[in-house]
Formats: sequence, C-alpha cells, structure tokens
Amino acid sequence: METENNKLTAWRINMKVHSILKSNGDMFETVKAFFTRLFEEGVIDYLLVPQRISNGKTLTQTLIKGVDNLEGINPFAPVMAINSAKLVAQVGSVEKDKKVGVVIRPCEIRALIELVKLGQAKLDNLVVIGIDCAGTFEIEQWAKLVEESGDAVSKETEVLKDIYAGKTDYQEEDAPIRLRSSCQICDQFTHEKADINLSIMGMEDDVLVTLEQELAAKLGLEVEDEPMAHRDVLEDMKSSRTYKRESALDEFRDKMQSMNDMADILSTCTRCYACQTACPICYCRVCFFRTETFSPESDRLLRWADKEGSLRMPTEILLYHLTRLNHIAASCIGCGMCESYCARGIPLSTLFQAVGDEVQKKLEYVPGRSVDEELPVATFKREE
Amino acid sequence: MSTQTNDNFEPKIVAFLCHWCSYKGADLAGTSRLQYPPNVRTIRTMCSGAVDPVYIIKALLDGADGVLVGGCVLGDCHYQSGNYKARQKMKILHAQLKALGLDEDRVWLRWISASDGVMFREVIFKMVEALKAKGPNPMKDPWNIWKTAKGGWKPKTINSPRGE
Repeated sequence: METENNKLTAWRINMKVHSILKSNGDMFETVKAFFTRLFEEGVIDYLLVPQRISNGKTLTQTLIKGVDNLEGINPFAPVMAINSAKLVAQVGSVEKDKKVGVVIRPCEIRALIELVKLGQAKLDNLVVIGIDCAGTFEIEQWAKLVEESGDAVSKETEVLKDIYAGKTDYQEEDAPIRLRSSCQICDQFTHEKADINLSIMGMEDDVLVTLEQELAAKLGLEVEDEPMAHRDVLEDMKSSRTYKRESALDEFRDKMQSMNDMADILSTCTRCYACQTACPICYCRVCFFRTETFSPESDRLLRWADKEGSLRMPTEILLYHLTRLNHIAASCIGCGMCESYCARGIPLSTLFQAVGDEVQKKLEYVPGRSVDEELPVATFKREE
Repeated sequence: MSTQTNDNFEPKIVAFLCHWCSYKGADLAGTSRLQYPPNVRTIRTMCSGAVDPVYIIKALLDGADGVLVGGCVLGDCHYQSGNYKARQKMKILHAQLKALGLDEDRVWLRWISASDGVMFREVIFKMVEALKAKGPNPMKDPWNIWKTAKGGWKPKTINSPRGE
C-alpha cells in the first residue's frame, strides 16, 4: 500500500496512458461512474469536486465522503468560485492514511505547486485529478444565464459541449455570456503533472482519462490511443489562445508608458483587498497593508496632507498595487481571480499577467510547472 | 510640490545600506573626510536582503528621486546569502518597473565593502549626476497623477465578461 501511495503523489509524468470512458450520452453519469470506481478500489477515500447548488445556478467545491454523495457533481464546472488551491491547501496533509482526490483546474494545480514551494500546502495524502479546462464564466453571469434558461443541467451540458468542442463563440462581443478575461487569454489549459487527468475536449460525450499504467490496470481500464479529434481541439485552442494572449499583453505593454497609465487602470480602486483575498499565492499570513501602518492616526494623515497639498483617500493605492505586483509577479499563475473578485471591474488579471510575463522571462522561471523548481526569491546562482 | 527646474535640480537619494558593509563604507568615507554630494539620506538595514521592495517603491512615491541599495560584495555577506537574495528581489523590481513603463534606472543596487569609502563616494557622485540628467522623479506626485488620469482603461483585445 505504501509504495502505491507514493506513486500517486510523486507528480511523475512517466508511464502515463490514455483510456476512453465510453458514454451513453450523459457525460455526468460517465464521470460519476469513474469516481465510484476510484472510491471502490480504495484509490481515494474522499473527493473534493465541484457540485451544483442553488438548483444548478452555481457550483461549489464540495468535500465528499463515499459514493452515495456523487449526485450533481461536475468536474468540468463552468464556474470557478475560488481558486481551489487554497481549499486543497486546507485538506492536504502529511498523514497518508486518508486519501483525498481533488478535482482541480490547471491554474489551480499551478497555484497549488506554488503554495507547496512556499511551504503552505502539503500533497502527501492527495490524488490530484486534473482536467483540461476550456475556461470558466463569471459566477453571477452564469447564475443569470441558468435562471433565464430554466433548466440548469441541460444549459450546462449545452454550453460545456460548445466550449469543449473548441468553439470561440463565448469570447465574442455579442455572446450571451463571455468567458472570464483570464480564461480568454489562457494558453495553459492542461497540466501534465496531475496524477489523473480528465478531458472532454473534442470527445463528444466520452471522457478521456490519462493516468499511470498500473492504476489503469487496477481500475480495469483499457489502454487506448489519444483520439485525433481531442488532439486537434487542444492544438487549435493552444494557437488561438496564445495569439490572443500575446495581443492582449502587447496592447497592455504599449499602453504602459508612465505612472499616469497605471492610474488610468486603477482610478476606481478603493483598496478593499478583494484582489488580495482572492489571490491564491498572496503568501503573507497577515498582509502588511492590513496592519496599523496603513491605517494611520489623524495627526499623521494631517501632516501628510500638509506636505502633499492633496492626499487621495484611502491612501497608498498605488503603493498597494505596486507592492502586490512585486510580491506576486514571479509566481503569478494567471488564474484571474483578482479580476473576478474586483467589484470595480479593474482589469487586474491583464495587469498582473503582463508584468508577471516580463518578470518570469527575466528570471527564466515558469510558475506552477513543477514542485522540483525553487522560488526565484528563495534561490540564487552564485555565478551570473 | 517641487518647482525646481532641471538646472538647479538637486535630486534626493534614499540609500538603504547594509550594516556590515555599505553602511561601514559610508562611515569610512565620512571618517576619511571624503567629500561627496549631500543629496543622500541613509537608512541602515541589517542586510541588503532585508530591503523589501515595498520600501523602495514607497520612497519613490513619496519624494525620492532615486533609491540606492548597498550590500556586501557577493560572497562576503555576513548572513551568507542575503545579498544574492537582494539581487533576485532587485531583478524582479527592475523588470516590474520596466513592464509598467516606469524608470527602473532610478533604483540602483551596488556592492560596497566596509573598506571601500572611496567607492561609496564614487557611487554617490555617479548617482547624483545620473539623476540630475533625468530630472525630478515623475512618480513622486501621486495627487497630480490621480487628478490627470483618464481612468477606466481596459484592454480592447479582451471582451470584458461583464460588459462595459
């Protein structure tokens, strides 16, 4: 048992095989049957997976014990309420006796890897079940769409089929609902380090599962070739997303010429900390900006106003964002939760990814790729 | 706010100097009676690696024209690797400022040993000269920046999911 356990959590990519879970027209039943097998074979004892609540108007991560509670789960949830890396960090432990399967997206896996490097997450008891992710919608927009449609499950199926077939309709201006900004420019929608990977990209109703050979044998899965249709959708999506990403980041870099351009973006910010709360890798346990230092007493503010003439209140908005950028840029994995949480609609995900991109290039660092790589600030080369 | 023209402009430099080397170097420059421009305000830190970039950014937003971070010569750090970490932090800060269209050359990282008062003097001379050529730091007037900002910029490449 011990060796087997190690293998699942070793984040290895060798010896992975594909298998197709054939469907009778309902992909939700198909994945349910797969998770049931995982429970039955003792691969997992618990499962963290998105599940419908509010009559399907939204989905939330749920920690499930046993096969009886799998009704209404959807690993390919069209919404992402929170970057689940933070939740996984809560369930992750060094105690290996209870295994938790966690169904998370590539950006969540990347965030989780960064949290491991920061010493804020443990993986020993986890079976990371990744998905190929075509993108997610803003949570309130999704609820509205489902409300209008009247039938949550069929609407969910319809939209998922469209986006996972590679259609780009849900990015267009006249679409009834559009993918989140960061999803529109995400070109890292797969993660090879997941222990088990599920994909419905270009798969019609079937589900493609990628896992270690031994595990496939244990689950009684037949090894098959990767379908061409799946490969095609992945490659098309990769090239169109990369193009869009580069265009968006270039547009941003052209825009940024001085501090005034930064103020153009942040003019409506009130330093409410929503972006900081949402960020999975904002690593300080207590944010410096939430301490007494940044809620100064009257006389200090008045002296400051004496010096400046006019002082924007709340103060230090530029400093807050510049500091967060500095702390996060190297590790920004581009999940875009900062922007989703922002009540003012500030394009924070573009800001962070454009700056992050430059910083990561300079440091030759790819955040969230592997737990074996070290954080740039924690490591150094003597010779440079 | 500063109404100085470039001709009589005297830059303000905030210098974070590490206790073991650069601060001692500055001390040595003083005790050796080396003359250098009085534009520098020094802050002693225990290590250059302990200078969180937040302090540097704060200085630039609040009136400094340039920031100098001084650490031990590489390999000589009192804490073994603090100056290497300072170098990594500075790399991030420089790349960040550049990506935002801000002037990264206002932030200098220099290795000044405790025995090198002459080098401290030279760094200050060079930095004052470079900052005089650049003129006052445009980041240090946040109110004017906010007042003149157009506001509401969003990338056009991305169709905002929440509309306008």
